[in-house]
Amino acid sequence: MKKLLLAGSVMAALSASPLMAADEIKLGVFLGFTGPIESIVADMGPAAELAIKEVSDSGALLGGAKVTGVRGDTTCTDAAAATAAAERLITSDKVSALIGGDCSGVTTAALQNVAMPNGTVMISPSATSPALSTLEDNGVFFRTAPSDARQGEIVADILKGKDVKSIALTYTNNDYGKGLAESIKMNFEKQGGEVTISASHEDGKGDYSAEVGALAAAGGEVLVVAGYLDQGGKGIIQGSIDTGAFDTFYLPDGMVGDALPEAIGDDLNGSYGANPGTDSEGAGIFAEMAEKAGFKAGPFSAESYDAAALIMLAMQAAESSESGKLKDKVMDVANAPGEKIMPGELEKGLKLLAEGKEIDYVGASAVELVGSGESAGNYREIKIEGGKIEVVGYR
Amino acid sequence: MPESTEILNALVLFANYIIVPGLAYGSQLALGALGVTLIYGILRFSNFAHGDMMAFGTMVTILVTWGLQSVGIGLGPLPTALLALPLGILATIALCLLTDKWVYKYYRSQKSAPVTFVMASLGVMFMVNGIVRFIIGTDDQRFFDGERFIIKAREFKQMTGLNEGLAIKTSQGITVVIAIILVILLFWFLQKTRSGKAMRAYSDNEDLSLLSGINPDKVVRTTWIIAAALTCVAGVLYGLDKSFKPFTYFQLLLPIFAAAIVGGIGQPIGAIVGGYVIAFSEMMVTYPYKKFVGYLAPEQWQPDGLLQLLSTEYKFAVSFIILVLVLLVRPTGIFKGKVL
Amino acid sequence: MSNAIRATLAFAVMFGLLAMVGFFQSWALALTILNLCIISAVMALGVNIQWGYAGLFNIGIMGFAALGGAAAMLVSMPPVGNAWEAGGMNILYSALMFIGTIVAAVLVHKKLPDNGWRTFLMIIVLVTGYFLTRYFYEPMVSAIESTDAAKTGYLGGLGLPIVLSWPVGGLFAAGAAWVIGKVALGLRSDYLAIATLGISEIVVAMLKNEDWLTRGVKNVNGLPRPVPYELDLQQSEWFAAWVEKFYAADLAALEGAAREAAMRTHMIEASGLFVKLCYTGLFATVLLIVLTLCVLALNSPWGRMIRAIRDNEVSAEAMGKNVTGRHLQIFILGSAVCGIAGAMLTTLDGQLTPTSYIPLRFTFLIWVMVIVGGSGNNLGAILGGFLIWFMWVEAEPAGVWLMSVLTTWLPEGNSVKAHLVDSAQHMRLFTMGLVLLLVMRFAPRGIIPERSGR
Repeated sequence: MKKLLLAGSVMAALSASPLMAADEIKLGVFLGFTGPIESIVADMGPAAELAIKEVSDSGALLGGAKVTGVRGDTTCTDAAAATAAAERLITSDKVSALIGGDCSGVTTAALQNVAMPNGTVMISPSATSPALSTLEDNGVFFRTAPSDARQGEIVADILKGKDVKSIALTYTNNDYGKGLAESIKMNFEKQGGEVTISASHEDGKGDYSAEVGALAAAGGEVLVVAGYLDQGGKGIIQGSIDTGAFDTFYLPDGMVGDALPEAIGDDLNGSYGANPGTDSEGAGIFAEMAEKAGFKAGPFSAESYDAAALIMLAMQAAESSESGKLKDKVMDVANAPGEKIMPGELEKGLKLLAEGKEIDYVGASAVELVGSGESAGNYREIKIEGGKIEVVGYR
Repeated sequence: MPESTEILNALVLFANYIIVPGLAYGSQLALGALGVTLIYGILRFSNFAHGDMMAFGTMVTILVTWGLQSVGIGLGPLPTALLALPLGILATIALCLLTDKWVYKYYRSQKSAPVTFVMASLGVMFMVNGIVRFIIGTDDQRFFDGERFIIKAREFKQMTGLNEGLAIKTSQGITVVIAIILVILLFWFLQKTRSGKAMRAYSDNEDLSLLSGINPDKVVRTTWIIAAALTCVAGVLYGLDKSFKPFTYFQLLLPIFAAAIVGGIGQPIGAIVGGYVIAFSEMMVTYPYKKFVGYLAPEQWQPDGLLQLLSTEYKFAVSFIILVLVLLVRPTGIFKGKVL
Repeated sequence: MSNAIRATLAFAVMFGLLAMVGFFQSWALALTILNLCIISAVMALGVNIQWGYAGLFNIGIMGFAALGGAAAMLVSMPPVGNAWEAGGMNILYSALMFIGTIVAAVLVHKKLPDNGWRTFLMIIVLVTGYFLTRYFYEPMVSAIESTDAAKTGYLGGLGLPIVLSWPVGGLFAAGAAWVIGKVALGLRSDYLAIATLGISEIVVAMLKNEDWLTRGVKNVNGLPRPVPYELDLQQSEWFAAWVEKFYAADLAALEGAAREAAMRTHMIEASGLFVKLCYTGLFATVLLIVLTLCVLALNSPWGRMIRAIRDNEVSAEAMGKNVTGRHLQIFILGSAVCGIAGAMLTTLDGQLTPTSYIPLRFTFLIWVMVIVGGSGNNLGAILGGFLIWFMWVEAEPAGVWLMSVLTTWLPEGNSVKAHLVDSAQHMRLFTMGLVLLLVMRFAPRGIIPERSGR
């Protein structure tokens, strides 16, 4: 990763110079490098830059164009700073498209105030708010993360399949957690289940005794933790196991990752969940690539890689690096028909497109875009067994 | 089922979810608040850089711990971090003395208003914040090793045959023990030693103490050294018990301030009490008493609702509500502030 | 150097910096930064009223800005009819219960003699009121929040023009300031700081968690704008004609498709600039009004009295001035200005994002502005607002650039180099700290200090 990061950042810095080769394409990596989710972004940024490097090194894009990533900091929370950063990326660095933003709040601000007026394509790897599905976006906004509404149905189905009658629910107090929690609650209650409590937890607090106490007092067969696996979500699970409050946990997408069983240990065995994915081997390939590049395949890092890949594949299909042209091709390269493209095979995809053939980008997170350009939400049901994540089925 | 089992169950439930975590969290806050209050008592300003000083000390301790772990030195059932702690403390002391020399000393010589110091500490906070992230990054770091539990919830249930389990983590035990030792040491130092008495005199009446020949530079230096040690220990204990992340430590600043002020700022005993008041009130106000009452109440009075005074969302606000209430009822804090 | 020259020079440098952004990066970015600079300047003026005029230490700016932001949303969004229906009479009942409890508690406090019974009765009234209110409040909340939770799930606003929300935001903030001032003013000076810190945290916690009112962490997107939308401009003929005229020289040389493409680029660019300029006009008007009022107030007998109180509270009190009363006035005024700025910021963002209210950005940064600019001097506060916001935004690209320059001598692929470049984003905090410390040390009264001895 070090090498890659270096390359990305140095080029980002140098790109401030007005002299630029004609066949150089820039992409904005527009994520929250500082702020509450900075630890997750530490893997998302490199993942996007990995795809950029892969394409750039292949020399197959638009007749050998070099692609570089320019970082912009969304701060995750501060809409004003994010708007300014997006403005800089688009109007000053003149990036062709943005990979990002991350948190739904800053994403909508940057989309409505900067990207839409400039007609710049944004592909968000992690903004899951259902509100983004209906937002007027002039066709420039896509996301490789599924909407919360879809995941709620999946969670309710899996829980019903396990014959769970009552759950306690905790969510990270942001638009992702809250939106997902509401969706889960609605779907689970529709199926006749009982939600004993729906309590939020703040990320980055460290101490979750009060939350765990409240969840334990409310009770329930399973604790659903709609959070992040390296943030409050992990703290809640650890606290619940330590105090003996819950034994079994349901893990939504933000919680599924090898880091969690590694951190918690054997006590997590028997817990289950689901994250976006199909029976393709994309996720596994990506995890290996990430390890080789020196970063973790953490939450939303696969989606970040895919977001970057989609932009560049769409460029190839549109034969132009202009957002106005490539936006119409994003859906084409993401979906069937065509040859399936795995992570690490971007060169092959680019070449096929250059030959005028069709491709179906599968990528690290089994991308399938529906509706107004969001992930269809194919889910991979998993369970934790022997300290490892095992796939038990697909939904 | 006999009545006494029900009562025992209720008590164990309460201990497991409120008393044990509250004691540990309270001790961590108390140690942090002691540092804040000492600085306030001697240097007469609220040190906003405190949270990031904690992060700095913890970071050094973690780095040393990793070094020790890699050469295979450990403490058996106890966490290795305890071995690394002295180095962390030394580093924190060095940082504190350096910032004092480069930043605060000038304003002391200028006899600046307290708010100038507060602003300067803000500057230090920003810089240390940057340095810590620069060195160790933004990730969550866990550095606990050794035996995790003193008692496990499941074992406790088997042992006693009760419905409810009680878990005590090693880190919680260590936290409370170290906090008690440090507090005793601190009070002994303040009451019995020459330097301690000088500190108290200086805090009580600066001019009078200077007239009686106390060296102000020495007092300030001692204060920084003690405060830095307490800060570093508080940070490491918090990190051992939960986990280390620079962002978390910045956030800790607010409950620590609340603790120091509720207890009466400038008052060591107040800082300790304040720490526990904040910790326990955060938990007790947001705890749903449904199960607790369920054990105690007769069959027909079983509660339907959660019996929660405030939802956990307002956990963070609780410390401030208490703070405002204390200011309204007793503006000096529980113990009258500003004397060591 | 006299103050006037100093101020002129400082502002010249400031606008020079913005112009450099315009030339070297882009004009759109320069205007974006300028708009936020103006808002920051208004906020810094509010703090300057409190700190510079009266020595009141308010570290709850975040809360007042957040109240302003909430006002922007509550005034401008259309009401959600379904949610009002779902809430039904319970909305009215719980509001009545809440107000009734407060009134009863205040009556008990005012009418009864001060003894143990009064306290006891107060507690009874408050506890009963709490449970009665909750009885109606809880079904109301769950009914409202479950109406189409993914899209609305809140009551909405009044559907009025968003510019109206700016004074409303000021009123909200003033109301909160009145309560805080009543509690904390007149006590030891740093208790005001603590009370403001606490209340601002509580205000933000409420914005985050009272979903029925503010949609909480799910944010309210798409607040109506006071200025045209870029996409509409790009469609409109008058704007096209205008752009054609403006870029006539540029377009004349081109023909056919090339001309069309160039025209499209110009349209996009011009529409963005036009919208930003509209905002600039609106914000600058507010800034000028607030500044004029501040200058007039500071030079009036009232302003002299305020400064007299600040410089020597005891003697002012001995002269028969009502110190606490004046402090309350000042505190309310300053907070109201912060509220106005908060509403303006939310208007510019086009959305209410409760999670964005963090003390670092909304309290401490504003304080840096006031101290660096020059507390007690209105122009100083404005300059501080401009300069510090500029640095806050530009520290990131500058940090990346600096790091890569500093490490050019290291070989490609060196891990130290990679780490340094990777950490560049964190230089923002480091830089802010360094600037603050340097200014405080070498220009302790700020860049444009307060004029003294008139």
